[in-house]
Amino acid sequence: MDTHPANAGPRPFLWHRTFMNILYYGTIVLCVFFFLLPLLWMLLNALKTPLQIVELPPKLFFMPTLANFENVFSSQNFLQYIYNSLIIAGGSTLLGLVLGLPAAFSIALHKQKKLAVFILVSRMVPGITFLLPLFIMFRNFRMVDTYTSLILSHLLVGLPFIVWVMVPFFESIPRDLMDAARVDGCNVFSTFIRIIIPISMPGVVTGGILSFIFSWNNFMFSIVLASNRTKTVPVAIFNFISYAQIDWGGLMAAAVTITVPVLVITILTQKYVIRGLTAGAVKG
Amino acid sequence: MAKVELKNIEKIYEGNVRAVSNANVVIEDREFVVFVGPSGCGKSTTLRMIAGLEEISSGDLMIDEVLVNNLPPKDRNIAMVFQNYALYPHMSVYENMAFGLRIRKIPNDEIDRRVQDAARILSIQEYLRRKPRALSGGQRQRVAVGRAIVRNPKVFLFDEPLSNLDAKLRVQMRTEIAKLHNRLNATMIYVTHDQVEAMTMGDKIVVMKDGLIQQIGSPLLLYDHPCNRFVAGFIGSPPMNFLEGRLREEDGSLLVEGEGFKFVTADIHRDDLGKAPSPNVIVGIRPEHLRIAGSEEGESILNAHITVIEELGAEAHMYMSRRADDTENLISRVEQRHDYHIGESARFIPDMEHVRYFDADSGRALLGVIGPIRMSSRRSALSQDE
Repeated sequence: MDTHPANAGPRPFLWHRTFMNILYYGTIVLCVFFFLLPLLWMLLNALKTPLQIVELPPKLFFMPTLANFENVFSSQNFLQYIYNSLIIAGGSTLLGLVLGLPAAFSIALHKQKKLAVFILVSRMVPGITFLLPLFIMFRNFRMVDTYTSLILSHLLVGLPFIVWVMVPFFESIPRDLMDAARVDGCNVFSTFIRIIIPISMPGVVTGGILSFIFSWNNFMFSIVLASNRTKTVPVAIFNFISYAQIDWGGLMAAAVTITVPVLVITILTQKYVIRGLTAGAVKG
Repeated sequence: MAKVELKNIEKIYEGNVRAVSNANVVIEDREFVVFVGPSGCGKSTTLRMIAGLEEISSGDLMIDEVLVNNLPPKDRNIAMVFQNYALYPHMSVYENMAFGLRIRKIPNDEIDRRVQDAARILSIQEYLRRKPRALSGGQRQRVAVGRAIVRNPKVFLFDEPLSNLDAKLRVQMRTEIAKLHNRLNATMIYVTHDQVEAMTMGDKIVVMKDGLIQQIGSPLLLYDHPCNRFVAGFIGSPPMNFLEGRLREEDGSLLVEGEGFKFVTADIHRDDLGKAPSPNVIVGIRPEHLRIAGSEEGESILNAHITVIEELGAEAHMYMSRRADDTENLISRVEQRHDYHIGESARFIPDMEHVRYFDADSGRALLGVIGPIRMSSRRSALSQDE
């Protein structure tokens, strides 16, 4: 019998490694399946006829149809809703960056930790707390169902997030760089615009994208503050639910339509987003 | 180019923390002045006050006879090289060097001429299109120097620019900065904690400790005539040896003796030592002024045993201790070949004319001091002893 340790050693090690690999990938598949199942369900139902949707047991293999998507764009003014969502999400993101970046820079530069906590708290308070005061305020200013009111209300979600992402980013920038810019002739504003922002682009992109996605997905502020003129896509999905019936096919097709842009943006920018979210976690 | 004057400059931070106290320095036009001292001595703070990056709490800062206390950095006509290079990572080397000129709205062709000239001086022409991250530490530091050169400033400020480089590159860059000073004929202020850098580069050295300027002078003046024990110990490598001793007169000679040694002071030192405030003194001997006695007899002898011998080829550093527990590290720089071994006892003879003396209490030099810090009234040690 071969009892030489050099020959006996690798076998248990190989088994151990194989077992760990199975455990590792098995866990990943389970997690992915758990999170992707609703998405898959939504996509499949969007491609089914109403009868196929309610069929039991549900079929995985069937003849797909685009009728639901046709219905979304023909029976509803869905392009207008997408346009509204783009204006509101884009506007609130842009305004969030314009206000949030200097705020985060100031917090990082002057170590205003209390202010940072205060901003973070406003993100943690449930959004519905702000909803009623905001509604009353905008109604008094006759601003309900305007882009402005929706952009401002969505700022409550995006702005703290941008500040939260950017503060560690700015804190990680060496102070010497700002001093060098001052010696080169910059004032605080030009240092911020010409040096700090270009260096912090991964953070700016991360904050911007996530703020856009939060705003795009926002339902609560939109359903209260928007009406026919400014209806956004998450609210428009509600059109498929009526008192008498629910148009599951249309609902799913609309849901797919509004999810696709968000998914595409996330996939294209995931490298930036991960780098942005982990900035400052490890000293470079 | 310019003359820089610091008049009673002070920096006091919140909580009454004094970083710099009463700094008075005159930096002449085209002079290379090095501020040196241990960490936290206030040298970088002083440089940052000259740059305008730090507010001056009190005192006057003059550049070319103009009070600049309240001028922002951009209006002081200075350029600064930072320890961490501080290159803009999103810009190419060319853009890094051109940035300061663009801010000042210099025409493009003039910018190009200046950048190309500086790149030629620093041999970085081939890197102009690269980003800083694609450069080595030494190349980055050249770019940082280039960024200062293109500005053609009145005063160059260097804040420990070589600290992040490896030993070999540091020596190389040291020479290059010295050459650059000769070539540009500019006023340069250089901060370092490395006394070798200070000695090799500076026309004038300002030694600082705990926010106070200890002494100002040429490298050799500080080496030969340190104003106090701190300067004597800080300047020079290997450092000066310090022995606690007591002055005593015997048969018409002035002796200083202590544990393991008895020296007869040199005649040229008698007058100064006669005015010492106390007979308790610290004797300072540079390693090169302490040689092995061998069989030679002498009036002044130090007995110690050898603890470590560092053979450097041309010379040897012999570490020794007068005590059995080896708790001290006296050093002798031995130039001749020897056959001594670790653990052996040996006799050493100091070159008494080069020995320095410091007051045991205040640490002040007892021999004629040249520098800004003068000793206050001295009482006669011998008369006090009587």
